[in-house]
Amino acid sequence: MIAGMNRYRICWLVALISLLSANLSPGQAAESPRSRDRAAMARIANPPLGLPAVPTPADNPPTAEKIRLGRKLFLDRRLSHNGTLSCAMCHVPEQGFAVNEMATAVGKEGKSLRRNSPTLLNVAYMRSIFHDGRETSIENQAIAPLIAADEMANPSIGYLVQKIKALRDYDGLFEQGFGRGPTMETVGMAIASYERTLLSANSAFDRWYFGKEPAALGADAIRGFELFTGKAGCAACHTIEGRFALFMDHQFHDTSVGWYRAMVRDDSEQSVRVRLAPGVFVDLDAAAVRSVGKPLPADLGRYEVTLDPADYWRYKTPSLRNVALTAPYMHDGSLRTLPEVVAFYDRGGHPHPGIDPRIRALHLSQIERDSLVAFLNSLTGDNAEELVRDARSEKIGNPQ
Amino acid sequence: MKRSFLELLQSMGAVHRLCTIPILALALMAAIGAASAAKADETCMSPYMAKITGQEDFVYVWTLGVEGLGDASDKLVTVDVRPGSSTYGQVIDSVSVGGRHEAHHAGFTDDRRYLWATGLDTSKIFIFDVHSDPARPRLVMEIDDFVSKSGGVVGPHTSYAMPGRMIITGLSNDRDHSGRTALVEYSNSGTYIATHWMPTADQTRGTKIEGVADGYGYDLRVLPRKNVMLTSSFTGWSNYMMDFGQMLGDGEAMKRFGQTVTVWDMHARTPKKVLHVPGAPLELRFALGPNHNYAFTTTALTSKIWLIYEDDAGEWQAQAVADIGDASKVPLPVDISLSSDDKLLWVDTFMDGKARLFDVSDPFHPKQIYEKVISTQVNMVSQSWDGKRLYFTSSLLANWDKKGDDNNQYIKAYNWDGKELKEQFAIDFTKEKLGRPHIMRFGAYALYAAITTDTSTAMTE
Repeated sequence: MIAGMNRYRICWLVALISLLSANLSPGQAAESPRSRDRAAMARIANPPLGLPAVPTPADNPPTAEKIRLGRKLFLDRRLSHNGTLSCAMCHVPEQGFAVNEMATAVGKEGKSLRRNSPTLLNVAYMRSIFHDGRETSIENQAIAPLIAADEMANPSIGYLVQKIKALRDYDGLFEQGFGRGPTMETVGMAIASYERTLLSANSAFDRWYFGKEPAALGADAIRGFELFTGKAGCAACHTIEGRFALFMDHQFHDTSVGWYRAMVRDDSEQSVRVRLAPGVFVDLDAAAVRSVGKPLPADLGRYEVTLDPADYWRYKTPSLRNVALTAPYMHDGSLRTLPEVVAFYDRGGHPHPGIDPRIRALHLSQIERDSLVAFLNSLTGDNAEELVRDARSEKIGNPQ
Repeated sequence: MKRSFLELLQSMGAVHRLCTIPILALALMAAIGAASAAKADETCMSPYMAKITGQEDFVYVWTLGVEGLGDASDKLVTVDVRPGSSTYGQVIDSVSVGGRHEAHHAGFTDDRRYLWATGLDTSKIFIFDVHSDPARPRLVMEIDDFVSKSGGVVGPHTSYAMPGRMIITGLSNDRDHSGRTALVEYSNSGTYIATHWMPTADQTRGTKIEGVADGYGYDLRVLPRKNVMLTSSFTGWSNYMMDFGQMLGDGEAMKRFGQTVTVWDMHARTPKKVLHVPGAPLELRFALGPNHNYAFTTTALTSKIWLIYEDDAGEWQAQAVADIGDASKVPLPVDISLSSDDKLLWVDTFMDGKARLFDVSDPFHPKQIYEKVISTQVNMVSQSWDGKRLYFTSSLLANWDKKGDDNNQYIKAYNWDGKELKEQFAIDFTKEKLGRPHIMRFGAYALYAAITTDTSTAMTE
């Protein structure tokens, strides 16, 4: 079972919800506000095939009212100081609740953030949040971007709470969900309640592996699975359990990507390959690129949390569920496609003393690399579109 | 000036049924009044807009605030350009709007009493009264609900005068901050009227698509006598707000640039054809000659001049007609300015800080005939109607400008004698603690000398 579960318990309320919503399957479309809320509650009560029971905090059991409020907050651009950014602008529903269109995120007034926007799909199972794992619950994490100066940039928690209180379309919603008005705690709880419903599995792999449907997975993906759990060694960190699979070990590893960016890449490039138009590329002098760019701030990974030198450039293992939807990859978005990721690990990353010993040259054939990609592509949940519709059923909040 | 103002209006087709009488009268007044006057105003403004026929008195500079510099806010800066004035070449007024909004473009209403200045980041529109005292514009209105009113359009860019209305081009949207966007119409009084989404492959709206239909937007220009409106295409919020250097190295981000110029039915506001113009076509400039059925644009990334023209069969086409500098070094052509006789095209290239002059008398075969380094970076250019005065500013976007010592922020004025640009004055916007100067618009006392409460436009000296 998941370590850290002692911090949570599967609330008896979930069982009750399960009974109440038993007539709606998790895969069923949520077309009206009421049915979408029932479907969201049903997902928590009965996670899609391949996922374990959803850990829910004892002090924040899910309710339809909280989820509805959280969804509204998640999509509200007014929650940023200057009214331009919502949670959903860096976790775009149509882009796997990540951002496919840039390597590293952009915050208030275009400030460069150091890391790629991680997907929120299946975030309910995270024991630590952010690439460096500095937060310990979704409830806490939800607050951090709201007041980070380079993200949504509210000057203080109190300012934000007052701002929400002044928005008439929130009148009564916090009271319905929590029996009290907006506070830092209830804002975080509401957003977390919504994010916890973003469960996605029952993929082709799940139907084949857990559902015992032989035809669910193609031969190339099966070959990829065998490599994943065998020769390639991927499953050592992207774990598969007996009755479920999260494809993550909740641990932090030095894959060499962070080390390479900090110690080699930024100083060594003489030119930058730039795409000017479809099929039109130039190798632009790196000095020209530097003349119009600021390098990203240094990123030391997990070390920034623990201050333990052993944690330099270590980052949290991401789940591989829905990985086909969440490009680009790695903590800095530096690998754009799954074949690039497989090729990176096949050549053993960038060898250096701190690299995780499990990363080594694999000497895979092209067929084997393709098979691994086919397997990764089989991890997309069958309800991705449903989750998008669910999100888009809520109106985007904008300055009035 | 090669033609009278009346000829200009006729050539642009601005004299149409609904406003024939007042515009003809005003044009006649203008032609008479301008007979002995110096010819001024910027070329290629809206043909529906009142026009300066004497020399411009002021240049309004919509300026981005810089964190840590002065009041750190976006502002409208007024520069005195009256020859002989004791404050010639100096900042005489500055109106801060509070906050940084990614100040970018601005445009006058048709009566030229108000300047609409837009913010690409916050999507706010600031409306300045420039007629009560042209030397001291006043902020009189702020549109804060552009995104919600328009149905999700983000990044108002060009503010273009139509009769009694403003059309605002968007650059992005509130769903994903990509380049999918729309045109938005307001009344001159600031009331929202309509949103016209750009055609896309999945929502063509009956539009003929030449290559792709990205749905992106940027600039807008009209040719009323042909009932044609053109729009160009840039990129979405995620890119135009991003650090330029980071973006150049980001293969995913670089996929998200416009590849289209869209031809619209101007009156119906319906798209008719999407032309394939890869490489981010930005500014659009229609030729002014009465038989010149074409416009120029330049592609920022691929560094080309494109001709958008009506062929012999009456079909609008796009053709790349010249390279701008060495495309492999990405000189990044940004603003362009066409002379009033359609013979010369100024092209600013941001990366090398050059103003380049092309002979475009044969629009299918432009030839560069002159260049001058203005500074380490250059962005906007505005030229007077007689082509004798040119003004340059430095800033492209807050996070795209040069970094370090190359980040010179200025307005510079030059005279053009047909052979050489000769500097008249320069103002250091960093030293003056103003910010990053972007678009320039001309103002003049003469515009308002004969205004009455019943007349929307005055053109006499």
